[in-house]
Amino acid sequence: MRAKKPDAIAALVAASAQALALPLERAWHVGVKFNLQLLLTHAARVDEFLLPDETEPAPVFRA
Amino acid sequence: MAALDLGWSTAADIVAAFAAGRSSALSIVEATLARIRGRDPLLNSFTAVTEQRALVQAEVLDAARKRGEPAPPLAGVPFAVKNLFDVTGMPTLAGAKINRDAPPASRDATLIARLEAAGAILVGALKMGEYAYDFTGENLHDGPARNPHDLRRMAGGSSSGSGAAVGGGLVPLALGSDTNGSIRVPSSLCGVFGLKPTYGRLSRAGVFPFSASLDHVGPLARSARDLALAYDAMQGYDSGDPVCADRVAEPVAPLLQRGAEELRIAVAGGYFKCRNAEAVYAVDRVAAALGVNRDIEIPQAERARSAAYIITATEAASLHLDRLRRRARDFDPAVRDRLIAGAMLPASLTVKAQKFRRWYRGEVLKLFTEVDAILAPATPCTAPLIGQRTFKLGDVELPVRANLGLYTQPISFIGVPVVAVPVPLSPLPIAVQVIAAPWREDVALRIAHALEAEGVSAAMRPKEI
Repeated sequence: MRAKKPDAIAALVAASAQALALPLERAWHVGVKFNLQLLLTHAARVDEFLLPDETEPAPVFRA
Repeated sequence: MAALDLGWSTAADIVAAFAAGRSSALSIVEATLARIRGRDPLLNSFTAVTEQRALVQAEVLDAARKRGEPAPPLAGVPFAVKNLFDVTGMPTLAGAKINRDAPPASRDATLIARLEAAGAILVGALKMGEYAYDFTGENLHDGPARNPHDLRRMAGGSSSGSGAAVGGGLVPLALGSDTNGSIRVPSSLCGVFGLKPTYGRLSRAGVFPFSASLDHVGPLARSARDLALAYDAMQGYDSGDPVCADRVAEPVAPLLQRGAEELRIAVAGGYFKCRNAEAVYAVDRVAAALGVNRDIEIPQAERARSAAYIITATEAASLHLDRLRRRARDFDPAVRDRLIAGAMLPASLTVKAQKFRRWYRGEVLKLFTEVDAILAPATPCTAPLIGQRTFKLGDVELPVRANLGLYTQPISFIGVPVVAVPVPLSPLPIAVQVIAAPWREDVALRIAHALEAEGVSAAMRPKEI
């Protein structure tokens, strides 16, 4: 998966804030967008690593 | 017999002095409280000092000794806790302005109760990064805990007060938490020993959470033996923590003398080959002392860090969603923006990260059929200046806040135990991670103890102490 373009991320930030009822002040948009972009970059690195469909998630990890 | 040097005595020294009748618990506590009063205005490591509680506990210990009762294993040892541990009668701050409005805790965290049952004496609560989402030790609300080797520099986070108080000679023992590196990073920057045990080994009951599937708790101290003594006192199942493993305690302190000679040890290659001179020197020095002459590749470590990053952001966002709706302005903006972004990440990507974790765990466990322990840098650099935004790693400029945990995140991601062993350098220390297989804290602590005996690893005493 490729990370979305910055304008798409700005739109995602605005829409998500509304959908999740998060009070997002105008001055916070830049910081939130930066961090979401960073998360999507990390997510892309994980997403591109192909795993079998049967791989179980480890939502609560057991060592 | 020499008097205790409480500014730099180990917990083991204190126990021995108390048991031999050379020091009373009351004298130890009074001297510790005086040191905190005198020096903490510089270090900024405490948020509360539990003076009355400590004095009462000391009197109880002294009275028991007068009656001829045997000294418990941590008798008279002062300790302090990161302020996300519940302490009866105090709000659990977790480094947050919002939590100042929380009701006082009605009971102590399990690990505090266990340390006190072993004779240790709680003297206070320590600063931390807001809600533990931090590697720097900076805190908008409380100010930064300061590095004891250079007060202009970061203590590291998020267990910043724990690193500063132990490294600054205020207490010989502190508790911290480690989700992505928050015990190991301050241990490295402050030059002390830190243990992040196996996920599920030590109870988190009464500890304010951060990212549930990654949260660990553990001790920081000035010797490997002290880590072992504290760890042994805290082990054991606790139904109050849903992920605490139902395993019998496996005491480690009696095993330390076995040394590291027959252990198979390798240096982590690839992603962990740091380009910073101090980190390289520290790993090389530790490897040479242990006679290590092989590298081992931890596969997909960079991807593991990314997956840890995602899971942390989304679990933390879920935890704080309601607070973000009600009191977003009361967060540190740097924390708030990351939490809000975490809330917006699609769940499909988080589940991908959780699937990757399963795969990665299997690959790393295979390595432990070849070796008993793996060495890796703890931090990519020594302590940055407070307020410093970036640092150089080779030719690359990286943000400090996100990258101090570059080498710790891929390890805690799968919950294996790690001891951060400090290597004293001038002017600033740095630590090396000794990583072992799940439930083999004994291996990592034996190696740490052997390195200490060789003089390669030591808690670095600040010049002013």
